[in-house]
Amino acid sequence: MNVLEIDNVTKRFGNLVAVRDVSLSVAKGELCAIIGPNGAGKTTFFNLISGFFPPTSGAITFDGRDITKLSTHERVTLGMARTFQITEIFPELTVFENVRIAAEVAGGYRLRPWMNRSETEKIHERVEETLKLVSLETKTDRLVGELAHGDQRAAEIAMALALKPHLLLLDEPTAGMGDQETYQITQLIRRLHRDSNYTIVLIEHDMRVVFHLADRICVLDQGRMLAQGTPKEIAANETVQAAYLGSAA
Amino acid sequence: MSAEQTRKLIVLAAIWAALLLAPYWMAPLGGYTALATRVLVLGLAAMSLNFLLGFTGVLSFGHAAYFGLGAYGAGLTLKFLAASTPLALIAGMLLGGVCGAILGTLIVRRRGVYFAMVTIAFGQVFYYIAFQWSSLTGGDDGLRGFSRQPIDFGLFKLDILSSANNFYYFVLFCFAVVVGAMGFILRSPFGRTMIAIRENERRSRFLGIPVERHIWIAFTLSCFFMGLAGGLYALVNNFADPRGLHYSQSGDFVMMAVMGGMRSFWGPLLGATVFVVLQDYLSSITVNWMSFVGLLFVLVVLFFPRGLLGFIQRSKA
Amino acid sequence: MTQLLLFNVTNGLIIGAFYVLMALGLSLILNLSNVINFAHGGFLVIGGYIAYTITPYIGFWGALLLAPPLTAILGLAVERVLIRPLYGRDPLYSLLLTFGLAFIIEDGTRFIWGPQGKPVTIPAFLAQPLSNELFFITGYRLFMVAVVMIAVALLFLLLRYTRLGVRIRAGTLDLETVAALGINVQMLRSLNFAVGIFLAGLSGVLAAGQLGLEPTMGTGLLMPSFIAIIVGGIGSLPGTLVGGLLIGVASGLTAVFLPAASEAVIYVLMAVVLLLRPRGLFGEEGMMS
Repeated sequence: MNVLEIDNVTKRFGNLVAVRDVSLSVAKGELCAIIGPNGAGKTTFFNLISGFFPPTSGAITFDGRDITKLSTHERVTLGMARTFQITEIFPELTVFENVRIAAEVAGGYRLRPWMNRSETEKIHERVEETLKLVSLETKTDRLVGELAHGDQRAAEIAMALALKPHLLLLDEPTAGMGDQETYQITQLIRRLHRDSNYTIVLIEHDMRVVFHLADRICVLDQGRMLAQGTPKEIAANETVQAAYLGSAA
Repeated sequence: MSAEQTRKLIVLAAIWAALLLAPYWMAPLGGYTALATRVLVLGLAAMSLNFLLGFTGVLSFGHAAYFGLGAYGAGLTLKFLAASTPLALIAGMLLGGVCGAILGTLIVRRRGVYFAMVTIAFGQVFYYIAFQWSSLTGGDDGLRGFSRQPIDFGLFKLDILSSANNFYYFVLFCFAVVVGAMGFILRSPFGRTMIAIRENERRSRFLGIPVERHIWIAFTLSCFFMGLAGGLYALVNNFADPRGLHYSQSGDFVMMAVMGGMRSFWGPLLGATVFVVLQDYLSSITVNWMSFVGLLFVLVVLFFPRGLLGFIQRSKA
Repeated sequence: MTQLLLFNVTNGLIIGAFYVLMALGLSLILNLSNVINFAHGGFLVIGGYIAYTITPYIGFWGALLLAPPLTAILGLAVERVLIRPLYGRDPLYSLLLTFGLAFIIEDGTRFIWGPQGKPVTIPAFLAQPLSNELFFITGYRLFMVAVVMIAVALLFLLLRYTRLGVRIRAGTLDLETVAALGINVQMLRSLNFAVGIFLAGLSGVLAAGQLGLEPTMGTGLLMPSFIAIIVGGIGSLPGTLVGGLLIGVASGLTAVFLPAASEAVIYVLMAVVLLLRPRGLFGEEGMMS
């Protein structure tokens, strides 16, 4: 069973068609990269997957379950986690506190007035484990708002991981980063994919990152799915080249 | 224990010491116990509002309604139902809390200024009812004809009617219970979701927090606390005032929270102290005290938005 | 019975027209700048008092023409000095500020003009009722409605066809883009505020002729304006128009059957609208924050 099945999905905003008849299947453990020139509809597509708004037509299935009509937080509860192009974190809380909230919500404690000792310890362990995964274990007590951009992104990814997601949606994870940080994040994502077997869909502009990480690449252009395939196939694809060179990307 | 924790404990101890000994250190400063009681109750109301405003980040500008409902609930209970202070307080708390719970369902669908507008409008409904239903509430003159009753503990009675000090300590006890509950909740997983919503609503949603539901819970809790504060206030003067329901009273509470420091737990209590003392002083020396209060609002907003405690914290850093 | 009904509905429409004038000004400021102007009632009062002060020199008509712009200039000054610093911040602060401002204005007018109500003289021919049959429609009330209709028409023309109006409308939808187009957003907000205050001042002059003048009259008229906006739908000026008339008429109708409840009914109306259609009658989806 595929983790994500997107079936002929279209999104209209009045007269503007942002996404047109796009279909996509993502298998377990796969890393799928979505690329395309600016305005291609990538972010709208992402928003459809994460439940920001419902599609005008088409269906979305997650782990075999129809989620087309579900809200954002419901999808998160089912196992979808997302990061944003502009990092969405809790800036005035520490790294530890940021990830802790995610872990507590995922653990079902969000309405609790109280947690006993063993529950608290389990949550602490989970937070520490996740922070180690993203290499932030030395910075647990720093305020997230004060961290370097790359570390902030890592913290955001840690929050997503603490949710124990079946699907990780990463929206331009290397946006606004220099070479060093881009490398850092790319390695992190690679570890998550290869070592921890996460299923990941990401939007990226940086082709080095895309070709380094992706099992499969999907190219969107003007709301349509232009091409899908392995990195080799896409690199050789002439329509894709035209789309990138033809439009002022 | 770290230095930070020790510091916090000392501050906490100092606050409680000051509160416990208030009747004794106030007199030499020209204060009197009843003033301290008033400050305590209004401080509790400001803290209850701040539970929502400062810690969840939600702007309710009609919160005095639940305060007023608490006052009328307590007063009406004492006047018509039973001569029991605890019952009156519970009635006040329930009236404020339940109305908050019901209205909350209508209100939480909106956010920002629109939320504020709707809370103001709903608050005014209750003001209007209190004013118009004069056969029950005494209308413009307010509700009178009741008084706080001595509390019967079985073995002994606590006379809170004639002894200002006794009443003060009773109020302090109620204050401690509510404040303790608030602190407890804020430190719990649920409390952390409240803070998360304040810090970044979108991220909270994308962590799986049903934001509207959590806001409703925080809103309802703060209305219960407000109701209790209102009930206590009715007991202060044995009087319930329709003006306590008006949005200008809400404005006062918000100002107390902002003035003391919205992001700090004890800030609103400090704000209430300064506000009440200032208002009392101003109204005794000039008939135009209203414009001075208005001026205070303007100055605080323009120059001290972080409030007194926020100001102090900043200069430390 | 029909006469009573007619009387009250007409009354309701007249009051409604008045609410519309107030609410439109409030709505303009809210939509563009995200500021709830608690001091709006205060500016109404100032408009009335300015009219009262200058009437002896230039007569009623002169005051009608001059008092609103004078009030608007005052509004402009207030916006520039007090409100502008708060735009980037949490809306809480502008709320508190206008709130405090309302206090200052109320006390200020009391200080300058005294706490007693002031009578305002209106031209004699206006004070006459239309006819013996329609005794309840005095000339002044018709006049008020006429002025409101002209003002509303002018406002909609301004918004539709002038450059300022188009910019205000665009700014209400997407202020960032408007700024990116190189338009001076600060000035836009100031002018928008001034227009809103102009309407408040005009309301004040009209109210003075009908109700007389006293320092506290502004606050009583603020709440119905709020409700008109909520009922009509936040973000929608036509909605505010409809909302104002609706609550006026509802109030008038209720006065026939249950006089005591005629004020309460507007709150009930608001609750019903919020239950059935949270965004208001004409409000847009997503105008949540």
